[in-house]
Amino acid sequence: MSLVNFTSFDFDQLFAMSDDTNPIMMLIWILPIFFFVFYGQRIQLYVTSGEIKKGIGKLDGFRNESREELINYVKKNLKPVDDPVQKIDRFIDYFTIMPVDMDPNGIVDKVRHIVRSREDYTREHVRSLSPQMSNIELTKVQTLLEIASSLQMIYKIINHMYLTAKKQNNYPLILPLQMILPFIMEQSEAMKEAIPVFKKGQPVGDGIGPMVVGKMMLKNQKETVAFQTVLAKSEFEGRNLFFLKAEGPGSTVGRPADGLEKIVSENEIDVIIMIDAALKMEGEDSATVARGFGAAIGGIGTEKFEIEAIATSKNIPIFSIVVKQSVKEAITLMTKEIADKADDVRTQVYEMIQENTTQGQSIAIIGVGNSAGVPQ
Amino acid sequence: MFSKKKIILEYTVEKCSKCGMQKKRKFSEGDVLFTECSKCDSCDGMSFIEKIFGETLEQ
Repeated sequence: MSLVNFTSFDFDQLFAMSDDTNPIMMLIWILPIFFFVFYGQRIQLYVTSGEIKKGIGKLDGFRNESREELINYVKKNLKPVDDPVQKIDRFIDYFTIMPVDMDPNGIVDKVRHIVRSREDYTREHVRSLSPQMSNIELTKVQTLLEIASSLQMIYKIINHMYLTAKKQNNYPLILPLQMILPFIMEQSEAMKEAIPVFKKGQPVGDGIGPMVVGKMMLKNQKETVAFQTVLAKSEFEGRNLFFLKAEGPGSTVGRPADGLEKIVSENEIDVIIMIDAALKMEGEDSATVARGFGAAIGGIGTEKFEIEAIATSKNIPIFSIVVKQSVKEAITLMTKEIADKADDVRTQVYEMIQENTTQGQSIAIIGVGNSAGVPQ
Repeated sequence: MFSKKKIILEYTVEKCSKCGMQKKRKFSEGDVLFTECSKCDSCDGMSFIEKIFGETLEQ
């Protein structure tokens, strides 16, 4: 009887399956196959969860940092009556329950009501921290609170998804998390970097619309036409111009739909032109200017709905000009490339007026976006 | 691993309302767009803040 020779490894036999193949060689590659069939997912779970854990650690840092920044800002600049920490912590944990959409009839009014109630509630409670604070400071603190609250919510959701997958030892459950995490991290980092910008009251990329319209309004008389929204009237080559933007330099997007409703109820508007920042696609250059049709406005959708409804009921065409940028550029300090486009966009607005209207007509020009650091 | 550290430098651009001369300087706290800020260096006009922006520097 001949014994198996354990010392003579022949690599030619390693991947062979003939009768004279060394059984040890066969085991060397057959065993891992079985091992990975049964434990492959678990190994992937450990590798993936290590990467996700790093991301969650960063998110935890971001939410703590944003909370600290907000508390320090309130303590240093607003001289609060009482210790603001407890109140701020309560505000940060506030949540919004969206209305039931099983019957979509009237959903926009319901969403608008809930969102505005939340804004009004937050504004009044932020004001209660320091009753003497100015409206500009109030909008700054409100924005900082929104950032801290969003980062807190993101951390909680991602951590929940991660811990559930770990608890169940369920690899497929961690896959969607692995896919969305890079996008979540990009947005969270942008939010974290936006904090000093809003604290200093500097313009952000999203403020290009208000910046363009704000300069056009400069030498004209301004009036408040809706909550945190201003209107100025002017003339250009025999046409009546109605400029509308959020009231700067506070950090607000105003209520352009309410403003437009008021303008339309008192005047006959022939064309609406909207100027806004738009998210660029991957591969597109930042700060490119594009023209189009339809209401250029982001947000939850209620303002857009209202503007479209007004335009449809009065049969007014809507033209738009957008300045492309990334998520990060939209909420952090305006880049040089975007700021340099302001004059070009202004020229394009006047070109659009000349091309699409005749003398005696009226045009509403809306600068959409956050007016932080952008007066009028 | 080898990514460079990015620093954002904040700038303010002033523009004279009379001669159109532009001056770029570091952003200082309290700068707000379109506000009157200083006298023009080349004429007796007033300068306004035309732009406030950030430039990214990689280290």
